Amino acid sequence: MAAPDSPSAALQRRDLCSRGIRLAGKMRSDVVDLLEAYVERQGLDASASVAAVEGVPVAAAERWDEQTGTQRLLENLAAYRAFRALLAQMLEEQREQLGEADAALGRALAAVLLQVSAFAYHLEELLRLESRGPPSEEAAGPPPASHLSLFERKLRGLGVLRELAQWAVRSTRDLRQLAKPSPGSSSAPSPAESP
Amino acid sequence: DSHIQYERVGADVTMKCGSMDWDAAVTWTANGTDIDESHLNGSYLILKNVDLTQSGQYSCYEGSSWHLKYQTYLRVGTPPKEPVLMCRSNNYPKGFYCSWHLPTPTYIPNTFNISVIHGTKEMVCEKDAFPKNRCHIRYLQLFSTVKYKVTLTVTNALGKSSTTVTFDEFAIVKPDPPESVVAKPVPNNPRRLEVSWQNPSSWPDPESFPLKFFLRYRPLILDQWQHVELSDGTSHTITDAYAGKEYIIQVAAKDNDIGTWSDWSVAVHATPWTEEPKHLTTEAQITETTSASSSSFMPPPTTKICDKGAVVGSGAVAVCWTAGLVLAAYGVLFI
Repeated sequence: MAAPDSPSAALQRRDLCSRGIRLAGKMRSDVVDLLEAYVERQGLDASASVAAVEGVPVAAAERWDEQTGTQRLLENLAAYRAFRALLAQMLEEQREQLGEADAALGRALAAVLLQVSAFAYHLEELLRLESRGPPSEEAAGPPPASHLSLFERKLRGLGVLRELAQWAVRSTRDLRQLAKPSPGSSSAPSPAESP
Repeated sequence: DSHIQYERVGADVTMKCGSMDWDAAVTWTANGTDIDESHLNGSYLILKNVDLTQSGQYSCYEGSSWHLKYQTYLRVGTPPKEPVLMCRSNNYPKGFYCSWHLPTPTYIPNTFNISVIHGTKEMVCEKDAFPKNRCHIRYLQLFSTVKYKVTLTVTNALGKSSTTVTFDEFAIVKPDPPESVVAKPVPNNPRRLEVSWQNPSSWPDPESFPLKFFLRYRPLILDQWQHVELSDGTSHTITDAYAGKEYIIQVAAKDNDIGTWSDWSVAVHATPWTEEPKHLTTEAQITETTSASSSSFMPPPTTKICDKGAVVGSGAVAVCWTAGLVLAAYGVLFI
């Protein structure tokens, strides 16, 4: 593997970032469409405020511009891994709840889940390039939602999709920062590997 | 002693002459001019249904001694109506500003108080020195899904009014229009115009937060615009301009991912390159040619046209040929 600061690594990083940006762009577009469909099919109010839900990675960041490249990648990876599990859970619930009644929504959810998985993998590739290697995944999945009422689950789903849409924009910005040629983007100390 | 008194338009105002008794003999003046006794009730001055023209200095003098007993400055105005408030981020991701105005004037001094709440946090919006009715605020967080709630309260001596706007971080992002738009003809290319511009100077980091652009152009003589959306770069070559026609061109900008389009830039004008006629003919011949045909294909009189007798010597003159053929065709129609 090329040393992280070598010219070929820089080219690879730029290439992976460009592709990642395109992936994130498409993902965001699909999440926005999914959000619209979800709000309508689940009979929700689009402007409803959803309180921060446990287990949903929040896209909001303070001092975002001061983050190092590695910090960005690690935070993004942790988020998309969490979304992968949350979306899988939503898909499961949706199938149970509606059966075949709303196949279109189920397909849209599955398509977004696929893109989230692909993006998480893409982030792992970028981390490998940083010679860090991706952290191992946590054994536990998202907190089980079985204690929530149907309505609460729908609101939770709304919260998940909203944060995911926000993350897709943030990831685009993160990757652009990463693609910038800058020395020592991975040399600064990083936060603990396991979230 | 002197003070200020605020009254609503249409109100009835009674002014007392300080501590003078009701039946004391007094003279009232308004801005130095004596007020007729018909407006007095004893020593009280009665102004019914006041209007804006009655604002001014009112003084009361003791009858015989002409000692000044009381003075007040009457300001007639209205309580504030609901203000108009808008917030916008033209310098994302640094922060945003909010600006406001009153739909109708109150004619008396007003104070404005603004509060910005993000979730549970109250943020401080720093008032700008200029323009006055504006304040700016720095983002403490980016990519938040929590809405911002901004409340503006206007207060004056006659009342108060307030308004609230709520918005997402992304929704208010609107850059300023692109700057330094320049359009130039391209030598030896009669259908091209080269347009270039710069990112608005208020946009702090175009490298990390790139803008995309929307170009619109039309010949002055037509109403319909052509549009081109450009996802990167700050220049574009128009390749389908009508030869010899003056064009008007504008550019708008938008963050690549979020927010709305800027207003259109200042308009620039440009005309594509046209070749000088190879054989100079007399003025009369050119005038005759231009008046013989009167279709909409004719360029405006000030623009040079190719003389029909021009020798075919270079590729660019092919246009002259075409123009010549068109002229000839119309000439035939009208002779």
